[in-house]
Amino acid sequence: MSEPDRPERETDLRLALIRQRYGDRLTSEQLDVLRKAVGALVEQAAAMRAVPLTNADEPGQRFAAFRADE
Amino acid sequence: MNPVFRPLGDLAEAVRTREISPVALAETFLERLERLGPRYNAVVTVTRERALTQARRAETEIASGAWRGPLHGIPYGAKDLLATSGGIPTSWGAAPLRTQTFPADATVVRRLEDAGAVLVAKLAMVELAGGMGYRQPNASFTGPGISPWGNTWSGGSSSGSGSAVAAGLVPFAIGSETWGSILSPAANCGVTGLRPTYGRVSRHGAMALCWTLDKLGPLALTADDCGLVLGAIAGPDPLDPTAAARRYRYDAAEHTGRRFRFGIVRDVAETAEPAVREAFMRSLEILRTIGTVEEVTLADLPYDAITRTILMAEAASAFEDMIESGTITELTAPEDRYTAYARDAILAKDYIRALRLRAHVVREADRVLSQVDALVGPGRPAVASPLDQEFRSAARGNVPDVMGAIGNAAGLPAIAVPNGFTDAGLPTSLQFMGRAWEENLILAAARAWQRVTEWHLRHPAV
Repeated sequence: MSEPDRPERETDLRLALIRQRYGDRLTSEQLDVLRKAVGALVEQAAAMRAVPLTNADEPGQRFAAFRADE
Repeated sequence: MNPVFRPLGDLAEAVRTREISPVALAETFLERLERLGPRYNAVVTVTRERALTQARRAETEIASGAWRGPLHGIPYGAKDLLATSGGIPTSWGAAPLRTQTFPADATVVRRLEDAGAVLVAKLAMVELAGGMGYRQPNASFTGPGISPWGNTWSGGSSSGSGSAVAAGLVPFAIGSETWGSILSPAANCGVTGLRPTYGRVSRHGAMALCWTLDKLGPLALTADDCGLVLGAIAGPDPLDPTAAARRYRYDAAEHTGRRFRFGIVRDVAETAEPAVREAFMRSLEILRTIGTVEEVTLADLPYDAITRTILMAEAASAFEDMIESGTITELTAPEDRYTAYARDAILAKDYIRALRLRAHVVREADRVLSQVDALVGPGRPAVASPLDQEFRSAARGNVPDVMGAIGNAAGLPAIAVPNGFTDAGLPTSLQFMGRAWEENLILAAARAWQRVTEWHLRHPAV
């Protein structure tokens, strides 16, 4: 289960991934900027999750099977 | 005849009747590009040799009675994310790619050649079309794009496409929009910019920023000019599976003389800068002389969050190699050298949720637009910013832009036209956004607007 009241914790967890992957390239000032950016991502994800979707709600783009001879 | 700042219809007639030769036209604009282009950081490459070859061919054909149509012999510039053959670099605005070349022309470049148009320049752009999160104008190895209306930002990411048209360096230009990259430079530079329906114009040979959002379109002096260019570049393309099978024909007479039904999204200008909001409110009175204006209501959806999630996730994937390899550290804007790392924090299911919500956005936009001919709103919520300051941007999330979010998520056509000037002499802009595939309707509305207004006839002193 998610913990919707803890966006700060979620931001920290996601930021940890970025620090793990790119930390050796980043200054502390840049990490501060990235923390704000990740916080914004968490907020926009929360805004999207607040909209109820049903199992029938498919992505707004379609996959198509392929044959080179058609 | 002085060909500078003349609409394409006038130039076409002068070329067709041999009042002016394509070679003389090309020479005029090549000279202006070379002399004035650096003033606005508008140009990456002046394609003099290719231009004169194409112009001489056009001259010979027209002299023999083989006139191809309204773009025959007309010079133009292409945003430097469109591939060009013959060793002409295609830099994507990025310092580490400044010598990049491609073996073939982008479909749009090839179609314009087929129409007889003359490529005179590859035009400057924000590095990687702004996909790395730039926050201020100095985000291209060619320097910050400068508007000819003042020492202010020309807008982005089609910076040179806007400023080159505004300064009379080219009669028209091709730009691209993922979210705001045609409408923003059109607004900041006081020109007309058309964002076609997603899939109307082939993207083959264009740099991919976001596969499901990218669109190519013209910037020019008038709505009629944009229609003429769209007529040449639109249509199916087996090289781009997202290019629609629909045929397109521009008809300048279609919808002429009718009254239009315009819709306004409630509070659409509320968060715009005061000068933009005031110009928009004045525009509503003028719009009532060519049609009706009514308020429309949109379903409550997180439009900005949906479009921004799609944009950031696709851009992170499109440039994954540059981001992970650290090549982005060679970019010009300091913020472009690391901001994209944040996008590793986008969860796959959040991206897919954005795509599922996008299906709702598409239906909601069509429901509203089926009731009116076009939605109207500010072309850009802010006037051009100073060159040394951060700007407000919907794509970055520090200013709401419901029309941009919906229009780009749903792939809808929109056209930005000048609608006034601030006390400081900077242009403001009005946009008409239409239902999918209704370019001719919004072009007709924009032509009607430009018949009753004169802002598009003003040109900066250059």
